[in-house]
Amino acid sequence: MTFTQECVIPVDRERLWDFMMEVPRVASCVPGVEAVEAVDSGAYRGSLKVQVGPIRLALEGTITVEERDRNAWRARMRAEANDRRLGGGIRARLGLTLAPGESGTRLRIDTDLAILGKIGEFGQPVIKKKADAILAEFARNLQTALAV
Amino acid sequence: MNDFDYRSPRSLDEALAILGEYGEDARVVAGGTALVTMMRQRLVQPRCLVSLRDVQGLGRIEANGGLRLGALVTHRDAEVSPLVQERIPVLAETFRRVATVRIRHMATIGGALAHGDPNQDPPVTLLALGATVNIRSARAAREVPLTEFFRDYYETALEPGELVTAVTVPAPPARSGAAFLKFLPRTADDYATVAAAAIVTLERDGVRCREARIALGSVGVTPLRATSAEALLGGQPLGESLLQAAGEAAKTAVDPLTDHRGSAAYKREMTAVMVGRVLGQAWEAARRSAQARP
Amino acid sequence: MIRLTVNGTVHELEVPAYRTLLDCLRYDLGLTGSKEGCGVGVCGACTVLLDGKMISSCIALAGFADGRSVTTVEGLAQDERLHPVQQAFVDAGGFQCGICTPGQVVSAKALLDANPNPTEAEIKEWMVGNLCRCTGYYKIVESIRSAAQRSRA
Repeated sequence: MTFTQECVIPVDRERLWDFMMEVPRVASCVPGVEAVEAVDSGAYRGSLKVQVGPIRLALEGTITVEERDRNAWRARMRAEANDRRLGGGIRARLGLTLAPGESGTRLRIDTDLAILGKIGEFGQPVIKKKADAILAEFARNLQTALAV
Repeated sequence: MNDFDYRSPRSLDEALAILGEYGEDARVVAGGTALVTMMRQRLVQPRCLVSLRDVQGLGRIEANGGLRLGALVTHRDAEVSPLVQERIPVLAETFRRVATVRIRHMATIGGALAHGDPNQDPPVTLLALGATVNIRSARAAREVPLTEFFRDYYETALEPGELVTAVTVPAPPARSGAAFLKFLPRTADDYATVAAAAIVTLERDGVRCREARIALGSVGVTPLRATSAEALLGGQPLGESLLQAAGEAAKTAVDPLTDHRGSAAYKREMTAVMVGRVLGQAWEAARRSAQARP
Repeated sequence: MIRLTVNGTVHELEVPAYRTLLDCLRYDLGLTGSKEGCGVGVCGACTVLLDGKMISSCIALAGFADGRSVTTVEGLAQDERLHPVQQAFVDAGGFQCGICTPGQVVSAKALLDANPNPTEAEIKEWMVGNLCRCTGYYKIVESIRSAAQRSRA
């Protein structure tokens, strides 16, 4: 499934870009992310916990920065994570674009998400709602982190 | 399924104590139609399952002006109960529309509420009727209006260690009529594409609407009230254009998800249609009630 | 340890907590009449009666039947004589491959126990959750009507 999300962060573009390219720091702003560490240049390993009511996902995997273009203010990332207990996982391609926005920077995230196995059978529609909730909290955490 | 401790308390206090002992690692099971299905798919893997099957005192249907249904009342119990059929027939009809008799023999009203699935039918009618959820923890008892009970998909106002013990439904006021419509164009025993319930109360003149409540299911992450549509109806006489306007207003209240039961756009359009129809039916029932007992 | 009566016989069984009633019947007790079709309680192939009420045994834990009475398709015939519902299905041709048939028969018996003279609409409403891929349902409904008629005769 593909979807696009946008939020406005009240920081200028350069500062937001520099922050977002530090993957462990920006990953810690995503609610449910734990323990992100570099594997090698451009690749990071970590875990993400997501809860939908009684259903708890514990995703473990890697995120790789495939492309960063500071001139065009665009980056592409690839994420792969599995939940070994449930026997499912996600494969995502993320496109990040930064544009000047009213009182800050407009961050746009284009996601191409494949949900595999049990998680996918459960409720694709719910995933989108969850992604929106995660992004909203991510934006709040980002603002807090950048206000420091 | 994962292996787990299986406990079968015989009293509510015992059940609450076990929940306190295990914390978030325990889940309560009543009929099991939702939970066991999820456990079989390994979506939920509790360390302990607390079965309420043998807990005394939660399986009664009582009349008290309105109705009080214990948490362990099954859908089938509520469907065939003479008390429910006589006092709040729309509720019995709603329970009857759920899945199949097999499911209704096991699935309980408390379990349905605690599950918090916006696609279920009984919460829609209960929401329109102004029901309240009775909740117990080891230390306290509280009541939550159903309008505040559902928080998100599969998430309710229940805190860890809390159980639904009953749902209380007030008696419909005089000169009221209610209706429930389940729109499911594909199969007969599935969740709804759109579900709508309405209760209309008429003024003393038996013509104008005093109050209307409209509830919708399967069109958001929780069952919800279409309050902007309700606001159009106060003081108005019944009319086709009013029903249409209410239906259109209801569209702004919903945020459906696209799934195999319909696209989000389709569900939004059908919301308007179903709201118009269920309001019309409820209004007719209210008129008959006002004529019988003005 | 659970203790349950199945088709009139009391059994004491040591089963893990995660054992479904269906698996308990099929594997612990060798009663393979009830089938697993969908695994989510929808298709009806696993239908049994628990204290006389029809349920989906694939989503019931064996522990739910502790201290209770279960009736499976194997419990319908008396000695060598088929239950009237079973006989009606045979005579009216209410099955083809047979995989859904135990569930159909158990559900039909439960219907006639509760409502000995159902209308066609009532039959269809009761049986809505028993899916069949072969027959198109006509002969199943006929079989049930026939069984109801015979029981009244």
